[in-house]
Amino acid sequence: MQVLVVYCHPRPDSFTAAVKNTVLEKLHAADAAVTVLDLYAEGFDPVMGGPENAAYLDCTLGRSHVAAHVVAIEACDTLIFVYPTWWYGLPAMLKGWLDRVLLPGSAFLMPDETHSDIRPGLTHIKRLAVFTTCGASWWLTRIIGAPGKRTILRGLRILCAPRCRTAFAAHYLMDASSPTSRAKHLKRVARKMDRFLGGPGEPQKVPA
Amino acid sequence: MKALVLFAHPCPESFAAALHGTIVDTLNGRGWDVDDCDLNREGFDPVMSEEDRRTYHDIPENKARVSGYVDRLMAAEALILSFPVWNFGYPAILKGFFDKVFLPGVSFRLEEGKVVPNLTHIKKLVAVTTYGGTRWRAFTAGDPPRRSVTRAVWHTTRPDTMRYLALYDMNRATQEKRQAFLGKVKREMEAL
Repeated sequence: MQVLVVYCHPRPDSFTAAVKNTVLEKLHAADAAVTVLDLYAEGFDPVMGGPENAAYLDCTLGRSHVAAHVVAIEACDTLIFVYPTWWYGLPAMLKGWLDRVLLPGSAFLMPDETHSDIRPGLTHIKRLAVFTTCGASWWLTRIIGAPGKRTILRGLRILCAPRCRTAFAAHYLMDASSPTSRAKHLKRVARKMDRFLGGPGEPQKVPA
Repeated sequence: MKALVLFAHPCPESFAAALHGTIVDTLNGRGWDVDDCDLNREGFDPVMSEEDRRTYHDIPENKARVSGYVDRLMAAEALILSFPVWNFGYPAILKGFFDKVFLPGVSFRLEEGKVVPNLTHIKKLVAVTTYGGTRWRAFTAGDPPRRSVTRAVWHTTRPDTMRYLALYDMNRATQEKRQAFLGKVKREMEAL
């Protein structure tokens, strides 16, 4: 199992860091080969500039500007995002990572004479998970329509394997969280990870 | 009447820039006082730093580092978002504007424990956008950017008028389709 964990939070002492650690513990217990991209620690620049955008649309961009990230996403079969939900969506840092690293010719194939729509390029990804926190309540997030969750678990999932397994867990009402609610959530993340990886006793089992 | 136009595309030769130009010119022609905020050109930094996060909930200290943008937002009676949809979301530079400028005490305030929208001076909310994928493709993904505008931003502004103008399937859009969409945006701006 080749796992890429994309982690995005500016504070090393955040609850999101604790969620990431829980995820990593489960991955290590399952003997997975794990790569962690810590976008804040790397100082990733999420803004796509003019020349980069122009070359992107012409499909002449290449990948050298984000080579390590593209290699990491092309090499993984399991992709896990750990981030706080801000304004019902991904932090700008993480959104910019998608914008700059999911490249035509790699993550997806552009329409051409014989194909009328975009085709997926990440079909080697068999598992996709999101672990996040939300300031809003569960019901308000539902009313707004959880655009951040949809961006990844629907928008990005379309590019992955057709029967890609997914997992999702969020701690809602984060600003009113207590040590009890946080501990409970970490246990939930651990349980979700067990199921996501195919059960604690059989980590190598590939989903049907 | 003041209109804040938030524009998020790095290329001046892009179709997004043409839409942006139509928005600004049409509004100016109709007598709007337009505050044209080109986020890329202004070098807006969308990354919420560790320090930003630490002071996020501290009203009013939280807005110290973005006070210029807060003032522009608070002065607007119309908010026009002009952006391309990338990966079923805002470009990062626009997402960061919400992360960093739509702060507690700015976009919403707490009254007796209840969240109250605080941008109700914005009477008109418009998004003008383009999608690479088809409308069907956006629909199957749950159209996150449409929800972000018509629900999340709507929630803080409660405008009298809201318009979400989108051109789908940009990769294969003909010149006629693009011209028709520019015309539609012009008409909508004239009627604003």
